[in-house]
Amino acid sequence: MKPAVRIQQEDFSQDEEIRALQASSKRMGGIATFLGCARDFSEGREVSEISFDAYGSMALSELDKLRSDAIEKFGLLDARIVHRIGTVKGGENIVFIAAGAEHRVAALEACRWMIDELKQRVPIWKKETTPQGEAWVTPHP
Amino acid sequence: MIKVLFFGPVAERIGNNQAAVAYRPGIHLQDVRDELAAQYPQAFEIVCFAAANGEHVRDMSLPLADNSEVAFMARFSGG
Repeated sequence: MKPAVRIQQEDFSQDEEIRALQASSKRMGGIATFLGCARDFSEGREVSEISFDAYGSMALSELDKLRSDAIEKFGLLDARIVHRIGTVKGGENIVFIAAGAEHRVAALEACRWMIDELKQRVPIWKKETTPQGEAWVTPHP
Repeated sequence: MIKVLFFGPVAERIGNNQAAVAYRPGIHLQDVRDELAAQYPQAFEIVCFAAANGEHVRDMSLPLADNSEVAFMARFSGG
């Protein structure tokens, strides 16, 4: 089975990640997921592709901590986080987060918390390619 | 020697993803920042976070050991 936290160039399968999460416990009554995708339009410009830079070792260790923190904070049974780096075209997948808990509230809240925290804590940067040139993305609150 | 890493928008403004600062006993993270910010003021305008040996650092008075790896980073935009 693939590790629960990964940074990778290639696309991921949501079904595979959810199956892996479900396999970790039969007590799981609720699974919440978040899928982040590349938009082909941003700040009034067409975006043909997004490229990512990351402080790889720190990003992976921060994602690992994020998963452990979420499991502890929300009493999850398990969680998985996969983030792509390299170049991603409009409409393609960027990040997948799944939280599994006995009940839905913890799963939903943990999933929201993890993507919000990821944006604050994990050293990854995205650059959009547009007809006007390339530009690093200024984070949204 | 202190190894300094740059990524994304900061690396682009510096024109490099790595630098080195000479180690001296008693050197703090702030000293490394000051030295590099004087050389690359445009890049350091967007620096919001620092890390030492792969961990977030908020206290810039952190003393550094020889061969430490530090990073000065812009706001993250992953996800």
